[in-house]
This record gives sequence, C-alpha cells and structure tokens, in this order.
Amino acid sequence: MTVMTQSGGIQPAATSSGSGTAGLFDILELILDRGLVIDVFVRVSLVGIEILKIDIRIVIASVDTYLRFAEACNRLDLEAGRKAPDKLTDIVGNLVESGARGKTSGAIGGAIDAIGDIFDRDDKDREDER
Amino acid sequence: MSGVYVYAVTRADHPLRLDGLRTVGGTDEPPRVLVHGPLAAVVSAAPPDLRPKRRDLGAHQELQERLMADGSVLPMRFGLLAPDDTAVRTALEAKRDDYARRLGELHGTAEYNLKAARSQDDLLREVLDGSDEARRLNQCTRDGTGTYEDRLALGELVARQVDARQRRQADEIVARLSGLARASVLADPSKDDFLNVSFLVERARADEFGEAGRTLAQDYGAAYDFRLRGPLPPYSFAA
Repeated sequence: MTVMTQSGGIQPAATSSGSGTAGLFDILELILDRGLVIDVFVRVSLVGIEILKIDIRIVIASVDTYLRFAEACNRLDLEAGRKAPDKLTDIVGNLVESGARGKTSGAIGGAIDAIGDIFDRDDKDREDER
Repeated sequence: MSGVYVYAVTRADHPLRLDGLRTVGGTDEPPRVLVHGPLAAVVSAAPPDLRPKRRDLGAHQELQERLMADGSVLPMRFGLLAPDDTAVRTALEAKRDDYARRLGELHGTAEYNLKAARSQDDLLREVLDGSDEARRLNQCTRDGTGTYEDRLALGELVARQVDARQRRQADEIVARLSGLARASVLADPSKDDFLNVSFLVERARADEFGEAGRTLAQDYGAAYDFRLRGPLPPYSFAA
C-alpha cells in the first residue's frame, strides 16, 4: 500500500498490504473520521477512540500548558542547541514509513503530550494545581 | 442484530475482485456486491457487537485498497450499518448522480496524507532566539527564582509564539505541495503534530509528489518528523 521511504532514502517500502501493520496508526483518523457517510445508516459507537481528534488548540490556551512551556524553556540547554545545527548538517529530515513514532515523539508532547491527562485534571478541583 | 456492514461504493462496471478478503467482524460469509443501476456497493453481514478493533479497521482498509487498485472507489467511513440490502439500494438510488459524478472525478487519483511534527526543543530555541522578552523571563525563572506570574508570562508568550510558528510552517508546507495535487484538505493535527493534511494526487504525478515530499523533509532537516502516507483510498475526498 504505502509508497513512502525512509529518511530520504531510496528503497520503496515493500509493504504487501499495509493494513495489518503499524502503518494503520497514522491513517486511523482517516478510516474513522473521513470517508463517505450515508445519513440514514447507523454508525457503530466509537467511545474510547474519539480522544484522538481533540483539537490541539483547545489545549494551547490553558494555565497548565503555559506552565509546561515555561518549564520546558527552563530545562532547555541553550548552549547545546547552538552547536546542534553544525553536528546535524548531514542528517536529512525524517520521512518515515513506519507508523511507529520517530525521534520527536514525546517532544512537543512535553507540553501537549498527555491530552488525556490534562482532561482528567479538568475534572478535579483546579486549586489542586496551584 | 441482522443488517449489513457497508464498505464502499463503486461503479457497477468495477471488477470488484473480492476473493480472499476478510470481513469486518470476521463473519463467515465473505464480502459481497449489491448492484444498483450504474453503481455498486460492497457489503457483508453485520457483525454482532461491532467495535473499532484493530483487526476490523484493517479489514475495512484492506478492502478499500483492493478496490482502489482496479478503479475509483468511494470508501465509507468505518462502522456504517444498514438495516438490510434494500436500504443500501435505496441509499444508492437517492444519491445516484452524485456518487456517479464523484467516482468520475476521483478517477485515476489517490489520497496522500502528510503529518508533520517538530522537535520541541528545536522550536523553543527558535522562539527564545527571536524574543528578548522570552529570554529575559526564561533567565529569571530558570533557577527556581522568579514569580509564578513570571513563569506564567513566559509560558503564555512562548505558547503563542509556538502556535504562530507552527501555523506558519504548516501553511508553507501545504503551499509547497499543493501545486502537485488536485485538491487538499486540512484536518486537526493530533498529539505532537503541527500539520495534518491530505492531498488528492493524480496517479500520473504520484512519483513526483513523493519526491517532493522527500525533498521537503530534507529541507526541513532532522528536527522534523514527516510521515507521508499513500496512495490511500480517497477517504478525505469521498464526501
């Protein structure tokens, strides 16, 4: 099914029929959320999976997110960052075929990672966070 | 419950090779075809207690892949159940011209979905480099000093910058690939991603499109993670 290649490389992914593979993850929302709908038909309940499509923007503007961003900035090694570009010049960007998440996984996640986590907290008394 | 699970709509003259395909729900009877006028629907017996399990999502997707190999297909969203065959035929009749037209428009095309993420550290460094105020606030909150308000101000400033930069980059990336596609649809990115976009690409340009995706990934560099998937059934362009 997939045509994609690794790291700007050459070999086409020889996936026979990608569906049973990890590749399903990245197209899950297409299968569940897009596609033709016929109004008069019944749709199976997707409870528990709907969480995938929560809009990231909802999460951006919250005190919780601000504090996470502040913390992430505080932790940042600014000196290491300045040197990084030189070291990485030869490394091409990742264009991954596999549904498994690449190196950046959990990165932005530092702030937005646990969407479920954040929503859980909303249920508790906000004073707990202070 | 009786009833039928509906997979896809195609033209009646589609080869509809369904041999060896498993069904959603793993029911015994294989998928079958309902022809109505110029259209056909692929269905199977509705499974009891249908849930979006990995295996079932895979079965749904595999069937689309098989169909798209031989012609145009309107893939249904996962999980649609009709009460019986008659209801499916009635639905085909009701939108007959609409479906036929869309199948014609989708002829010789496929969907490509692109998701993009960026290393948070890389993005934060860029934000701090570009803002004196953010650097100042970061400095004064760094070693545990600074007030709660300072931390909040830093976080808010950075969050806004992150959001603005991500939107701008998403626009840039879409603009670079749009010229090679017939249409594009933006969707909400999830989790770490800042971009989630689907393109409708003509098969004749598929190689060119894939190459453009690779070039783009190289240009943006190692701090980015691009996941380009395709050719896919045109889920985003079927409705």
